[in-house]
Amino acid sequence: MDTSIYLVGLNHRTANVDIRERFALANQCSQQLWAIPCSEQIRENIILSTCNRVEIVASGQSKTVDELLETWAKARNAPVEELKPYVYTYAHADAIRHLFLVASSLDSMVVGEPQILGQLKKAYKQAAQAKKTGPILNRLLHKAFSVAKRVRTETQVASNAVSISYAAVELAKRIFGDMAQHKAMLIGAGEMAELAARHLLHFGIQELFVANRTFARAQALAEEFSAHALPFESINETLPKVDIIITSTGSTDPIIRARNIAGVLRQRKNRPMFFIDIAVPRDVDPDVNGIDNVYLYDIDDLKEIVEENLSSRQDEARKAQKIVEDEVTSYLAWLKSLEVQPTIVDLIGRHERIANEELTHTLRHLDPDKILALAQASPENSKAELQNLLEPMLKAIVHKINHEPLMYLKGESTHLGQIERINTIRNVFGLK
Amino acid sequence: MMISHELTTWSILLFLLAATILGLGGLLARKISIQTKGCVLMAIAFVLQTTSFFLGFHKSFQGGLSAGAYLQIFAWFTALTGLIFWLKLKQRTALTFAAPLCAALFAMSLPYMEQTIVLPKTLQSSFYILHIGFLFTSLALMAVSFIASSLFLFLERRIKSKQRIKGFLQDMPALSVLDTINKLCILTCFPLYTIGILSGLLRSKPVYGATFSGDPKEIVSLIIWALLAFVFHNRLAAAWAGKKPAMTMICIFLLSLFSLLIVNTLMDSHHSFTAN
Repeated sequence: MDTSIYLVGLNHRTANVDIRERFALANQCSQQLWAIPCSEQIRENIILSTCNRVEIVASGQSKTVDELLETWAKARNAPVEELKPYVYTYAHADAIRHLFLVASSLDSMVVGEPQILGQLKKAYKQAAQAKKTGPILNRLLHKAFSVAKRVRTETQVASNAVSISYAAVELAKRIFGDMAQHKAMLIGAGEMAELAARHLLHFGIQELFVANRTFARAQALAEEFSAHALPFESINETLPKVDIIITSTGSTDPIIRARNIAGVLRQRKNRPMFFIDIAVPRDVDPDVNGIDNVYLYDIDDLKEIVEENLSSRQDEARKAQKIVEDEVTSYLAWLKSLEVQPTIVDLIGRHERIANEELTHTLRHLDPDKILALAQASPENSKAELQNLLEPMLKAIVHKINHEPLMYLKGESTHLGQIERINTIRNVFGLK
Repeated sequence: MMISHELTTWSILLFLLAATILGLGGLLARKISIQTKGCVLMAIAFVLQTTSFFLGFHKSFQGGLSAGAYLQIFAWFTALTGLIFWLKLKQRTALTFAAPLCAALFAMSLPYMEQTIVLPKTLQSSFYILHIGFLFTSLALMAVSFIASSLFLFLERRIKSKQRIKGFLQDMPALSVLDTINKLCILTCFPLYTIGILSGLLRSKPVYGATFSGDPKEIVSLIIWALLAFVFHNRLAAAWAGKKPAMTMICIFLLSLFSLLIVNTLMDSHHSFTAN
């Protein structure tokens, strides 16, 4: 069988954002055409189009890649020559490996990010609904999903935060545990602080307060987060109420000083406080970290954590590559088993046909009345009569089934040597 | 079916060791399912030990308590405390760390089970069970508090000094949870310890002729009680939280271990395990 698996694509490494936008397929396909139309060359295909990559996986003949590229370029009204410099092409084992790496988020810009698996699942669902997938890609994609799951459970590739806002929230969880019993305050409105607030809400923070020098901005943010807006001046009186404080103001002087925190802690009965200072220059006096039950992380501390986590993800990615290799081998073994499938079907069909022909021939010469009369007169005689009928049939079947192997053995249909032919037949039929 | 004292004892030890291996193995390998299996084995060991007490296998109750019996009761109360924290606060870690402590105490108890201290008749009364029961419950609470406090100090130091929390440490309870465990231990331990001490002091007069006889065990116990009273008061009245109560509870537990392992075995005391 000459059908193979091919993958063509471009990603954040081979093409800049302009090119990725130019050749994106996400919004170019109608609901009914979530994949390239199948043809003689392309038997099955799936399009994965995200902001960081566009990839087409297909099963088909040797010219599949050319047809895929032409169709892709045509869909974006561009000559194929414009597309080619940015495209990578993988075939067979390399294509399978690349797809598994993508599904496991080992080929992502941020290794271990979880979105890609969801995007791949969506792409597969759409292709399947458009009836553009068959046994090979169905199996391949299900395998890719299970590889991604294995990588996630058996390695720590996705376990540590790789964004500053998420790292801050993870630290908050290490201090407070269940977020549902704690309150947070956002002071200022930087992008990262907003993102951290969003993560806190995602983890179920009990209550969120937003303070800003421009009260209208605080109100707008509070509305967005279902939080309470505060005037900037009321920060100090709100401090005893909140456990997590995220600051990102443009102030040149610290807005929270260590000398004020001792009193706040007394009011809080020494319950811990966590300050996340994302502002530059810093909003929180660094001495705050020296106070018992108060924790302070600034932007540099968080950056350091993120860098360490990124490097640890790279180490884990190396472990994950081994899992991917195992799974590629396993998928190739299944694919190989598909190649012998037609021969198995033909062989069994041939033997069934011989048996049916002989059975029809035997039944044609059978006289039921004679058998019945014999059975009534003497069961022994009817048994002997049946044996007389069946024996030639079985001999004929055995003879016909063995005809081709015997021809092969005698060397009449092959150029192989005698010893080789004898060994083959003895092995096939299990002769000692 | 034959149920013997020996079979039960070895089964309990086997379960405790298996619970230790699975619990700590699961913790280090970051496999929650394995760690949970360790907790289940720990629960089975606890049920077996409880059953053995009810079936009267605990020979030592017949004529007094041996050093081994003391250690086994201590192990039982530690397992009970760990189980409560597991079931009530959903904290596997408390039971996971209680498992090796229980296994060690149980294993250490075996050579000393036969050394039964024949108690004077005056001590063979229900007060004695009350005295021992309350003190050992509080000792088990101190042990769990010691584990929670040590973990708290270790993790707090790492977070304060901005060191990365790696590997299995990522699965440890949050600082607030560890502080809550510590608080619950202190709040239950102090009243129980007070009842234990009071029952001993009240019984001391008819037995030894004086409420306070200057026995080394009595002195150390009163120091522990004073420290417990101090931390109990500060937790409630001065809103102590975090490092200070954690450090105090570590000192209290170490002092209690000194009292149990040194005072009871090496010093001349009427609580001595070596008395015959």
